[in-house]
Amino acid sequence: MQRWTKGTSLIMAIAAAFGLTACGGPNNDPDGAAAAETPSAASEASASSSLPALDPANPTKVTFYSYSLALPTMKAGMEQLIDEFNETAGKEKGVVVEGVPDATFQQYKADISAGKPVDIVQHAFSTLDSSRLSLGFKAYEDVFPKEELDKHLEGISPNALELGKIDGKMYGLAFTFSTPILFINGKLFEEAGLDPNTPPKTWDEVKKAALQIKEKTGKDGFGLAPNNGWTTEGIILSNGGTILSADRKQVEFAGDKSVEAIRMWQDLYHSGAHAVGSDTEVSEQFMAGNLGMLIQSTSMHSGIKKASEAGGWKVYGAGLPQFGDQPSIPVNSGSVLAVRPDSDIKAAAVWEFVKFVTGNRGYTIITSQIGYLPLRTSLADDPNGLKDFVEANPLYRINLDQLSRIHPVAIWPGEYAAEIATAFTDAIVKSVMTDADVKETLTKAQDDINGMLK
Amino acid sequence: MSQSMESPALPPLAGTVPRARPAVSRRALLARRLKPYLYLLPAVVLLGIWMYRPLLYTFYLAFQKWSMIPGTDPIYVGLDNFARLFRNEAFADSIGNTVFYTVGMLPFSILIPLLLASVTDGMSGRAKNVYRAIFFVPMILAPVSVGAIWRWLFHPSNGLVNLVLMKLDAIRQPIAYFSDPDWAKWIILFITGWKMIGFSTLMFSSALTGINREYYEAAAIDGAGRFRTFLRITVPLVSPMILFMLTMSILFASQSTFAYIDILTAGGPYGSSTNVYYEMYKYAFGNLNVGFSAAASLVFFVVFGVIALGLNGLSRRLSFYDN
Repeated sequence: MQRWTKGTSLIMAIAAAFGLTACGGPNNDPDGAAAAETPSAASEASASSSLPALDPANPTKVTFYSYSLALPTMKAGMEQLIDEFNETAGKEKGVVVEGVPDATFQQYKADISAGKPVDIVQHAFSTLDSSRLSLGFKAYEDVFPKEELDKHLEGISPNALELGKIDGKMYGLAFTFSTPILFINGKLFEEAGLDPNTPPKTWDEVKKAALQIKEKTGKDGFGLAPNNGWTTEGIILSNGGTILSADRKQVEFAGDKSVEAIRMWQDLYHSGAHAVGSDTEVSEQFMAGNLGMLIQSTSMHSGIKKASEAGGWKVYGAGLPQFGDQPSIPVNSGSVLAVRPDSDIKAAAVWEFVKFVTGNRGYTIITSQIGYLPLRTSLADDPNGLKDFVEANPLYRINLDQLSRIHPVAIWPGEYAAEIATAFTDAIVKSVMTDADVKETLTKAQDDINGMLK
Repeated sequence: MSQSMESPALPPLAGTVPRARPAVSRRALLARRLKPYLYLLPAVVLLGIWMYRPLLYTFYLAFQKWSMIPGTDPIYVGLDNFARLFRNEAFADSIGNTVFYTVGMLPFSILIPLLLASVTDGMSGRAKNVYRAIFFVPMILAPVSVGAIWRWLFHPSNGLVNLVLMKLDAIRQPIAYFSDPDWAKWIILFITGWKMIGFSTLMFSSALTGINREYYEAAAIDGAGRFRTFLRITVPLVSPMILFMLTMSILFASQSTFAYIDILTAGGPYGSSTNVYYEMYKYAFGNLNVGFSAAASLVFFVVFGVIALGLNGLSRRLSFYDN
């Protein structure tokens, strides 16, 4: 009897566990017949000569996942952009956009995994290829009518349009966008006997000024967090180094020029005048008025300006410092709009939102309320656009000038993009923060990544 | 009337004619046999849904490659996930850190709480409760709030800790506690431990309440000092709780540190503060590589399963129960 009882309970437990396993597995998914690793969600929408008409009486709902909505310095501007669309073009055409804050680029992945509708994502550049392969994001050419697309893209900086292209197709339309700026605390500069109107141009001048600020004011002279993730690429490129091979098949950031650039930064970091801490902490230090110079994206401008006004100091700016007399090559920060509509009607709704936010009005809000660059550069000279704003904030002129020599930030190849980005950043952090051999550290990371890509 | 009081389980009442035992129907017999299993069913179903299904599913996923995207199917890759895992240096580092956190948590989960519980146990009513409440408060604070508070305190340029240390001339340059590889994991350990102390103190306090006071009186009459009493009476009598907390601490140290790693360092700098849990989370939800994450989970499951069995055996051998 006891044996019978034991046997029955074991069978029941196993049957329950297996039964439950079977009832929810991916193989039972009605969509499971789709080809392996080929997302079916986005395959329904296809490019056609025209998109179906939207119905204002029965608006189509579209979700928009945005990191700017989650950041205090950008939230208000992004909310204004969405609200204004919903109240104007959206209302007129029949589209309602719901903004979803996504501070760490995790929410959209989780929601796509959970089968929720994720239509538009404010996506980082570096992992776009990975998302294209695994998350079902669509090329603009495959979803939107060619004529409308070509017409809308007129007036956007061609350099910017190249940024979201992979294998010749646009998987992301450059949306919020900036170049790195050397922000300067005018008060600390003057206290140190420096003139903020003639800011340092080269890395040697930056180091000299930083040491002078430290000596005269006791505050740190310069800050660039080793884990910043994107400006680093600009430093390497500015010294003639490379990051990715032209065919994007392997990384090559351990060359002599790259190593030399990182050694310069290592030397500056250990000079005693460099701020320590994470990207957030160094920016907070600058905003608190305790740092002479900071390299950061102009998207931080609105927050920095408010902090400087509250702290009673004036903020100045300069371009990314250069090595000797070679002009610097900044990379872009910011995001693209990546889309994955699952039907033609959704594609039409998504297109209306994309047109609005990357149109004249959209960029006017993005630049004046958040701080990113207008990719329709003519807006900077347009009295109805941003002429007054750019004149009141000359820092944007520096940024617009840098656009002419900008280089796209690396879009790490393939499905291991996240691992590659981490390995690259970790190697840079180790090289800059410690007295590790830069050549050895970068070569090891390069070999590890290339091993992953094989 | 008397007939109605008869029970088939009892002998027949005096004066009555013994009757043949009524035949129990097959259905009643089946119902009687199934009854205990029906009582067990809710628990088995819940355990099945929340524990065993995910566990079995993890075994299955460890041999697949899958991004969890609806509409895609896992692809069988054999032992490839395990091969990649054992080649992955970040995973090896995370194992080292997991051991660091597990061992480092022991003073915070056993040593300090046991001392605090013993000291407060000797106090009079109100003071005892006030102190125990103070120790317990960190336990009920949300990890995100705790993380934010410690981040402000340890901020390299604006934080109170650096400010005080520099005023005292203890340091000349501010320390970036969460970005410095020499500090990051120690700070994570300290914050997790600080939060753990309250819970452990409460557990030891409850264990101390159960000790018969006569042992202490007898020891005092025999001339035993406080330390000797603690060592010879308190420690053996709370040994089941010590072993329970040891097991809890070892098995949950990785989970407890997870929130602070995520909020304060994201595993950095260059993986120096990460642990196995955080790496598994990153593989699955950051890199959308659930097969790789499942393989790591499986290794973690086997290693900690062996540790749990060992501790269980240790608990049976070393615990002393005052029956």
